Amino acid sequence: MYKEIEFRVNGNKVVYSGNPLTRLVDVLREDLKLIGVKEGCGEGECGACSVIKDGKLVTSCIIPVGACLGSDILTIEGIRDTEKGKCLITAFRDGGAVQCGFCIPGMVMAAYALLESNPNPTERDVRIAISGNICRCTGYDLIVESILLAASRGGELWQQ
Amino acid sequence: MAAVRNYVPETLDEALLLRKAEGAVPLAGGTDIMVQGKRGIGLSPEIGKPVMVISSLKELKGITMLPDGSVEIGALTTAAEIAESLIVPWHVRMAASGMGAVALRNIATIGGNIGNASPKGDLPQPLILLDAEVVLISFDGERRVLLDAFIQGSKKTDLHDDEIIKSVVIPPHDFTYSYYRKIGMRKANAISKLSLSAAAVVKDGLVVDFRASSGAAGPKVIRSREAESMIIRRPVEDIPEIVPDFLEAWDHAISPHAMPKYRRNSTARMLTRFLEAIVNEEEPGIVE
Repeated sequence: MYKEIEFRVNGNKVVYSGNPLTRLVDVLREDLKLIGVKEGCGEGECGACSVIKDGKLVTSCIIPVGACLGSDILTIEGIRDTEKGKCLITAFRDGGAVQCGFCIPGMVMAAYALLESNPNPTERDVRIAISGNICRCTGYDLIVESILLAASRGGELWQQ
Repeated sequence: MAAVRNYVPETLDEALLLRKAEGAVPLAGGTDIMVQGKRGIGLSPEIGKPVMVISSLKELKGITMLPDGSVEIGALTTAAEIAESLIVPWHVRMAASGMGAVALRNIATIGGNIGNASPKGDLPQPLILLDAEVVLISFDGERRVLLDAFIQGSKKTDLHDDEIIKSVVIPPHDFTYSYYRKIGMRKANAISKLSLSAAAVVKDGLVVDFRASSGAAGPKVIRSREAESMIIRRPVEDIPEIVPDFLEAWDHAISPHAMPKYRRNSTARMLTRFLEAIVNEEEPGIVE
């Protein structure tokens, strides 16, 4: 019997009682059916599985669920209906940032983590913020522009 | 189907007990262990030994300035926290800010980077330059070891079976010149191909202190005290004639196994640039 690991995902309490080395991405996708979280490389290199853990961007494929004890996890599903989430998603759509779409949930989470800590980023800030997120369609410029668009459109929203 | 049991201790005492009783391997951030034990989608990583996830232990987190000016960094402090700290010495902040990308820096810890003891690890290189010590804790108490001695080779450390890395202590320094360079395939998410830190204190035309450390240029971080001593306590005006012998001594000390010519040439060029700043009596500060 494994000890229960209690944490929160998108505000809901989760109790996991399996192997603490289970990858967070598997708990999110397989157990909680939060399939907006994508798995690309499985080695923390591509950023497709990015989620926010206690306010910080992390790659959920290399986080063991045991490290989530008492944590707050936020996935794309947890932000998509919020004002900030809608602002980002609309900007990504209007800015033509989405091609195949596989990297986009991770990109949106990286952008969300950036704008939460830096509401007025420069282009360089944006490029650093998404430097761990790989887009194999290589549409980086439009993604960067869309994040800057979300920052300017959101304005006060990101100060809150 | 886990062959071995894994644990999530909630206090340092519980972790020390698991370490002693089960020989559990501490997992700090997991950025190395989770990849080393990777088995694929839906499968929990395994490394053939019991693992204890110690990520949540508050006792091992934080950065403190000690009364003597040393900086103590808890083993579970992340690369992002180190990179943002204003009290952590410059060389170490530079190395921390160049590790992986944003998400990895939010997970990877200093204790994990040391315990994994990869010759390509980013943090041991500047820490060894600064004569940092590692504090090890077990039920029998604590011991402090020079990091350069603690890391014995590639993936080899002097960590005892009942010990956990508690913190790293960096003594204070006041360098006239500092240098740090990491060479990787790209800026983000690149494992170091080669790295070099160097530092010097120059007073009244005399090189009072001189040190360098090479990462990814041998089975462990290399600091050649023998080569360093050729420069220390020598007048700045004598340095140009010492440089060839110094570079040769450093070249003997490093032992890169892949692309050795490239790594040796690049190391020599970086050291030459740093020494040039001293010889030309450039503005004190960071040498680029």
